[in-house]
Amino acid sequence: MQSFKSKGLIALISALLCVSLAFVFMVNRASAHKVSHDADTLKAFNDAFMEQVILGDELFHGATMEGINMSNTGMACAMCHPFSSDVHPHEYPKFQEQMSEFATLRDMINWCIEKPNEGEIIDPDGEAMKALEAYIYWSNRGSVLDPGRH
Amino acid sequence: MTDNKHDRDHVVGNVDITRRTFLHKSLLTGGAVATGSAVGVFQTLSSMEIASAAMSEPFSFAWVSDTHLYPRELNQRFIDKTVRAFSEVQAMGDKFDFMVFGGDLAQLGHPVEIELGAELLQEVTIPKHFIPGEHDWYLDLGESWNKHFGETPWTFDHKGVRIIGVDSVGRAPDYWSARGMSNEERMAHMSGLDGSQAGPWSGLGSEQRQWLSSTLSDWPKDAPVIIFSHTPFYEYYPPWNFWIRDWREVQEILAPWQNVTNIHGHVHQPLYNEIGGMRSIGMLATSWPWPYAPEGVPALTRPMLRVDPGDHFDGVGWSNLTMNAEAHMEVEYMMWREQVFGVGRADSGTGDNVNQKLSPRISDRGWTGD
Ligand code: HEC
Ligand SMILES: [Fe+2]
Ligand SMILES: [Fe+2]
Repeated sequence: MQSFKSKGLIALISALLCVSLAFVFMVNRASAHKVSHDADTLKAFNDAFMEQVILGDELFHGATMEGINMSNTGMACAMCHPFSSDVHPHEYPKFQEQMSEFATLRDMINWCIEKPNEGEIIDPDGEAMKALEAYIYWSNRGSVLDPGRH
Repeated sequence: MTDNKHDRDHVVGNVDITRRTFLHKSLLTGGAVATGSAVGVFQTLSSMEIASAAMSEPFSFAWVSDTHLYPRELNQRFIDKTVRAFSEVQAMGDKFDFMVFGGDLAQLGHPVEIELGAELLQEVTIPKHFIPGEHDWYLDLGESWNKHFGETPWTFDHKGVRIIGVDSVGRAPDYWSARGMSNEERMAHMSGLDGSQAGPWSGLGSEQRQWLSSTLSDWPKDAPVIIFSHTPFYEYYPPWNFWIRDWREVQEILAPWQNVTNIHGHVHQPLYNEIGGMRSIGMLATSWPWPYAPEGVPALTRPMLRVDPGDHFDGVGWSNLTMNAEAHMEVEYMMWREQVFGVGRADSGTGDNVNQKLSPRISDRGWTGD
């Protein structure tokens, strides 16, 4: 597990995240889409996104966070999904053969936490899930949207 | 085919050899065409057909690799699969002249992991030969590995075949000292397939390449050669560290020999490639399978069927290899499932990924050594 630097990094990310979210919130809430965006504002939006991507990247590569335990086997998602390959975010929602039901990406993230990782499933709307989703989508950007594909 | 207790749960009783066995000649009858990309099959294969001198005596051997053992308390699954592979090899022991362990015995190169591996290896009593993987190496730079399994490279002649084992992992350019990494950090950066810090670590290096040329220099050009390496002897998707950086030089050294078979681990997936008189064949891991890279999978590869992540015995196993009377290598993937290869596009590990575009990770890029 690559967690030697992760705790500090996650603390840093969380701090940055609060600051930049606060910035975005204060500057734009009242005026969302009512005036055009300047470069700084767009950068703040992007930073808020990329911070989630980096947090998700760390989690996907074996770092952990307060209150979650995504693996009890020593394995991280990236060990089977380098660059988040074969995660296919662009294919969701779809009928998921492993579950025998119609599923979302978040359903399947939790399924892989539970099965191959023998970990504890995470809050489907929680911080860790959103960060994982940010990383998975970011690393698959440019893939052709193809919902329902097996 | 084997009668050992571990088989009961996972192997379908009457194994269909034709589905599990990958003979070069079977490609000629259309087996490989399922990928839809097997352009050049006939040409390349026919050049291989005329190459080899006949064998005096066919023989078989077993390959096991990529067990990736953690300390016992942390992960029992990988131990179970390792034990299963070794006991299946042992149960078929009469058939095999030897077993090769192809590297990545340990997950993080820890002496405890390597000792655990050495202990489990005692199950196999036929002659054993060892080459290291990067996971065995980068905690203590090969100290524990060499202590238990001896140094690499090595060579011996067996029934008319020159057999060679090389170290394609232990000669990485130093990426750790300048950044002040601890041994654990060095290992951690090496251990991820998609890391961006270790650089092009795989290679034979000039000293070993020289050794290889001189080892082959007295060997007839039409006599068969088998070379075991942890990583493949060609460039397969560099962003994932699947390749060897001095493949051009290595291929040049091997070019004069007409029948070279390179058997490699590391990729955790069936792979098949031909370059001149050399064929390169990728073996299964016992620990976990890797998805095929988004590009660069050799056109001659028959991709394996998608893996079920809910079954940790799926998509993994070991290999039963035979040098047959025509000096051709036959590979039987002893995968712990009934069907090994995908047929339709939706079944295969490569075919269904046509819509997938991937980006390198970023969170380990700006690492400054603090
Ligand atoms: C032991 C290997 C392994 C680990 C660890 C693992 N997965 Fe998977 N995962 C797989 C395999 C194999 C598939 C099936 C891929 C396919 O069907 O093409 C899969 C499928 C998926 C899918 C669905 C893809 C699809 O199109 O059906 C998602 C989403 C996923 N994994 C996310 C994760 C996440 C997130 C983690 C970490 C919490 C993780 N996986 C850990 C092996 C693993
Ligand atoms: Fe491996
Ligand atoms: Fe490896």
